[in-house]
Amino acid sequence: MPDDDTTMNFDSKRSLGAALRALPTSAPPRDLWPGLARALNPPRRRARMLLPMSFAAAVLLALLWSLPIEHRVSPSATPSAAVVSTSNVSAPMTDSPADRELDRLRARSQMIERWLQATSAQAPHDGRDLMAAAEVEDMVGLVDVQLSATRNDSDALPLWRQRVALLEDLSAIRAAPAALNLGDANRGLASAAATL
Amino acid sequence: MSASNFQIEIPETVLARARRGDNAAFETIYRAFERPAYTLALRMSGDRDDACEIVHDAMLRVLQRIAQFRGESPFWGWVRQIVANEALMRMRRNGGRVFESIDAESVELHSNDLRVEPPSTSIWPDARGLDHALNALPSLTRSVLWLYHVEGYTHPEIAEMTGKTVSFSKSQVARGTARLRTLLDPLKEAASCLMTTPP
Repeated sequence: MPDDDTTMNFDSKRSLGAALRALPTSAPPRDLWPGLARALNPPRRRARMLLPMSFAAAVLLALLWSLPIEHRVSPSATPSAAVVSTSNVSAPMTDSPADRELDRLRARSQMIERWLQATSAQAPHDGRDLMAAAEVEDMVGLVDVQLSATRNDSDALPLWRQRVALLEDLSAIRAAPAALNLGDANRGLASAAATL
Repeated sequence: MSASNFQIEIPETVLARARRGDNAAFETIYRAFERPAYTLALRMSGDRDDACEIVHDAMLRVLQRIAQFRGESPFWGWVRQIVANEALMRMRRNGGRVFESIDAESVELHSNDLRVEPPSTSIWPDARGLDHALNALPSLTRSVLWLYHVEGYTHPEIAEMTGKTVSFSKSQVARGTARLRTLLDPLKEAASCLMTTPP
């Protein structure tokens, strides 16, 4: 029920509201369900995408192999894998401040992701939080795509900063319902933050 | 006040099936909310193609994340919130002139005007005229008016959704109502201009 609005006379408000509510509802000009059903049907989509994705992965691997190992930054579709594989393939790092920051960002990214995975049961169910989380997740995905295309650490550094900032946003969104529902989860975030 | 068109109860069995990924349950839910979702999206965006995309994207989010719905609030309210947020998000992305610009003086003048001379109920009866007038409003003004009057959101709720202030929401309702009155009763408006024109 709308709250009181002192700028309007009650009769005019009621009559306008009634007139607007009396307007007929509309149906979409075309059936949107087939498109939705296609978008919701992952197995078929996965099967269709399997061959092109395998090909793309093979090309990416070949490209990586051809790069000088000193400057290789692991491109990976999945954030966790990116962190793990980077530590596996990374060449001896010069101990510059940029390298140290990159290491720190990767570690922080990994830490936050572990926390996010651990608290996935408290994923937002409020509409607004859900939309915000989905938006941030999309943006993290976008950064990962960019990260996978970087060829050296100096290109990767700003992206890793961006990635960590986005993950922190995501954990803040996740932490709100967790704080309301589960004190433990909140303490987990606090301890995770303290260790970072 | 009559209920929002969204107030549709989906049986718990259907929700449970949807949580398990049952396509038939997805379709049942989509069909149930197809018209209210499209109507809200169309009223907010003012464009049929945009409204279709809003409904598609919003319902996709609803169905993909249905397992995260815990049932602490009505399901229809959750769906409606996602559709409204999707429409507002698209509006922000598209930019442009989306709301009636307000200056304090005009709001005050308009508020006084409404208090002294409330419009008669006969101003609003023509559905087609009201529909046209509504479409002539900037999208955010129209959205605020619709969310307030038809969907029953409060000013603080609208302020939170739009990222604006409570005063902004109130101003848009007042301003939008004034614009509708002008658009629906141009003769009266012209007469008042003639009367105030100095000789």
